[in-house]
Amino acid sequence: MAVPTFLFGKKRTNVAKLLGVGTTATVFALSVIIVVLFQYGSTGFQFTDTASWASSFGLNYVVGVDGISLPLLIIATFLCLLAALGSRDMISLREPEYYALFLLFETGIIGVFTSLNLILFYVFWEVVLIPMFFFIGIWGGPRRKYASLKFLIFTYAGSAIMLFGFVALYAWTGSTGSPSFDYATLITRAASLTLPLQVAASLATFVGFAVKLPIFPLHTWLPDAHVEAPAPVSVLLAGLLLKMGGYGLIRYNLLLFPAADKLLWPAFTAIGLITMVYGASVAFVAQDLKRMIALTSVNHMGYVLLGTFTLTSVGVSAAVFQMFAHGLAVGMLFLMSGYIHEHAGTRNINELKGLRGKMPTTTVLLILGSMAAMAVPGFANFISEYQVIQGALSVAYLYGLAILAAALTVGYFLWMLRRVAMTPPAGPKNELRTGPLLILTAFLVPLLVFGVYPSPLLGSAIKPTVDHALSVLFPGGK
Amino acid sequence: MTPAGLIRRGKSPIGIGAYAGLAGIVIALVSTIWLGFNSGSPGVSFGGFQVDLFTYFFAGVLLLVSLFVAISSFDFMKRDPNTAPYFGLLLLSTLGMIVLAASMDLILLYVGWELMSVPTYALTAIRKNDPNSNEAAMKFFVLSALSSALIVYAISLTFGVTGSTNLQAIASSLGTITPDSRAFALIAIVLFVAGFGVKMAVVPFHMWIPDAFEGAPTTVSALLASGAKMAAFAAAFRVFIVGFSTINVDWYSTFAIVAIATMTLGNVAALMQKSFTRLLAYSSIAQAGYVLIALATPFTVTRDPLGLAGGLFHVLNYSIVKTGAFIAAAAVATRLPVNTLDSFIGLGRRMPQTAFNVMIFFLALAGVPPLNGFFSKVMIFTGAVYSPFSWGGYLAVAALINSGFSMSYYGWIIKRMYFDDPGDSSKIPEPKAYTSVMWIATSLVFIIGIYPDPWIRLVRSAAGSL
Repeated sequence: MAVPTFLFGKKRTNVAKLLGVGTTATVFALSVIIVVLFQYGSTGFQFTDTASWASSFGLNYVVGVDGISLPLLIIATFLCLLAALGSRDMISLREPEYYALFLLFETGIIGVFTSLNLILFYVFWEVVLIPMFFFIGIWGGPRRKYASLKFLIFTYAGSAIMLFGFVALYAWTGSTGSPSFDYATLITRAASLTLPLQVAASLATFVGFAVKLPIFPLHTWLPDAHVEAPAPVSVLLAGLLLKMGGYGLIRYNLLLFPAADKLLWPAFTAIGLITMVYGASVAFVAQDLKRMIALTSVNHMGYVLLGTFTLTSVGVSAAVFQMFAHGLAVGMLFLMSGYIHEHAGTRNINELKGLRGKMPTTTVLLILGSMAAMAVPGFANFISEYQVIQGALSVAYLYGLAILAAALTVGYFLWMLRRVAMTPPAGPKNELRTGPLLILTAFLVPLLVFGVYPSPLLGSAIKPTVDHALSVLFPGGK
Repeated sequence: MTPAGLIRRGKSPIGIGAYAGLAGIVIALVSTIWLGFNSGSPGVSFGGFQVDLFTYFFAGVLLLVSLFVAISSFDFMKRDPNTAPYFGLLLLSTLGMIVLAASMDLILLYVGWELMSVPTYALTAIRKNDPNSNEAAMKFFVLSALSSALIVYAISLTFGVTGSTNLQAIASSLGTITPDSRAFALIAIVLFVAGFGVKMAVVPFHMWIPDAFEGAPTTVSALLASGAKMAAFAAAFRVFIVGFSTINVDWYSTFAIVAIATMTLGNVAALMQKSFTRLLAYSSIAQAGYVLIALATPFTVTRDPLGLAGGLFHVLNYSIVKTGAFIAAAAVATRLPVNTLDSFIGLGRRMPQTAFNVMIFFLALAGVPPLNGFFSKVMIFTGAVYSPFSWGGYLAVAALINSGFSMSYYGWIIKRMYFDDPGDSSKIPEPKAYTSVMWIATSLVFIIGIYPDPWIRLVRSAAGSL
């Protein structure tokens, strides 16, 4: 759809907008159909589709959805729709190109979450990268050139190392039958690799996913990229692009290399813990609202890493659920920061003093969004973060330190709110129109619904799949 | 069959001019593809010629490069009185390259080598009054002549050791070699590496490349970078994988070390260039490093020529993309100086077609999927990990880090073209001869990249026929 959007939109920008938003809406509708038809409780891949692509080199087009990819698929289409709607207000430059790249990005992100062939996965993985480079570089803020190049080089170098893990798997498992890049084949073979090979492949893929996630100290591209990107693109960056890293960690790093997991999990969880605390600490000193939100992502994605490598069912399921919840919460905050920037003229936290005078309804939404990000009970984020910590504690009491990160998160959000929302109202009223307010509210609906009643997603989709995968992975228990 | 076609091709341009030359290339390309599809699996050999799928494959690639160069030369040679000699030399050189790829005999190989090289000296110096062009030609000539001398010496040593110049005969007699003559064979290998290395532009024989590419007319640089270089690779594949396959000397690890040095130096140096053609030259050195990996790890543990097939695939992809990139440089050079990267600031607005194509070529060179360069790289890297050598994995890691690193200068140019604001944003006319070649190259990049299966099958059978 990207090409027609560009071609038709060239003459009339309205057509580009219409096609962009229309396509994302159609895709969202299709994903809702998948959610409805999904067989909850079953553990295998569903809606699989296979086609021969370059079978002479083990490359096939294999896609499918299971309980781990389902929540990510649905937020991918949902966030793309909302971000496309938000883009109508915020993007006014070179729109045909923008919406064409937008749809290319959506193709890539859906491909990442559904592909079941390692090279196909890699192809989609990189298809996401190039539109993002242009989003930041063309439509970004003042330091866009630096940020876009840094983003490109960091993530491209990371994925090159990840690719080594993939080709190594192909070669090393080639002795037990014809070599293949198919996930279903590899998952049965990789477990029988010797420990050094597993560790090598695991570390290689870890680097690729860790750059995207991102973890400390590979995160430095993130604040720059998020701050400079236009707000709808920040939604995609934080809401979806980071989830690619988390999804990859679970799907490939965790589930392919059981022996390496048993050896490396203390290191990985420690990195996760450091990332959580580090992200929270630097978010404290951020002056720019958007930068602060960007750093909360570092903070929150640490939970994903920690949860995944607790190697417990609770931890891994919570990591998946955390990606779902965080994607929505941070997406909402980013889009809101864009609207606030447009209407209040600044994103500096100290200058936003008395926001409730200018934008009363938005301020309420900001408080609600912050509550979600703080993991206040009632929001889906609470359930995921609570369970990550629960899973971590069941492994070792030392992981009680994770509470520290949670406390810091509450701290910097409350401090931000104290400066922005709890100050005397000031300035002339300049509220958002109803449309944008509805878009922002739309983020809250699933957060609250699944915060109160998470079991349709967590209990019947994610958990059975994770339970099954872990029981296959560690047949004799951990 | 092929030689008949080749001779016709060689003669066609004399006095007839550019169109005859172009027609010759097209006829040759079509007949190569047609014959390639109908070729028997063991191939035909007569005299020193070995006409198998490997030959057809290289002939096709080289003719494609030569076709691109010829089309774009229409604009380039518009005001030049030497049009007919230019096209004649172009075809002669292409003929030499094809003979090189087809030769199974070292004497014929040398004939092909010279037939390829001599016309390129003249082509490099085609602008007689341009001192840069003359200087480039001089440098190129001296080093190239040296490489020819090394190859002659290597051939004579090989003949002395084995008593034959036929590669298959050499292979069978090298299997049972005495320790005394083994030393001479070793010297022959070193001389072959150095001799081919000059044309393949591998470290440490790469020095002439940036100077020659910068000084030579840009279309000729395209021929040197894609055609001559890849023909040298074809010769190296033949000599080493057929001729020296049986000798008990580990020349594989030599190529691995050279490959790592070549990739790393090419990529690091490319990052520091301030001239676009020099940047292309260094990036072509880096790309040669990837193909060298195929020479270092041609076979997998199960003797499947996966790495070799990847190498051939990369030869095809690289030739398309690199020729396109040089043609794009030539298009920019019509109005702006290409010895500076500043010309590329805001090119996305000034020359939208050229800029878009350069972007695609660069992404393909960096190995971004789903463009063609990605798949050949993956095949090469997989071949390296899958090779019987214990260092194969490290080689692949080094190559992948290089590949990741190379994005920094490719991305840098894309940033210049699309993100930076030009001081002067007036549109620049884009000559049709150039843009048509670029669009053909770009569509090939996408066609091969999106559905690589038939191409992978082709290179696998070509590698198998060697």
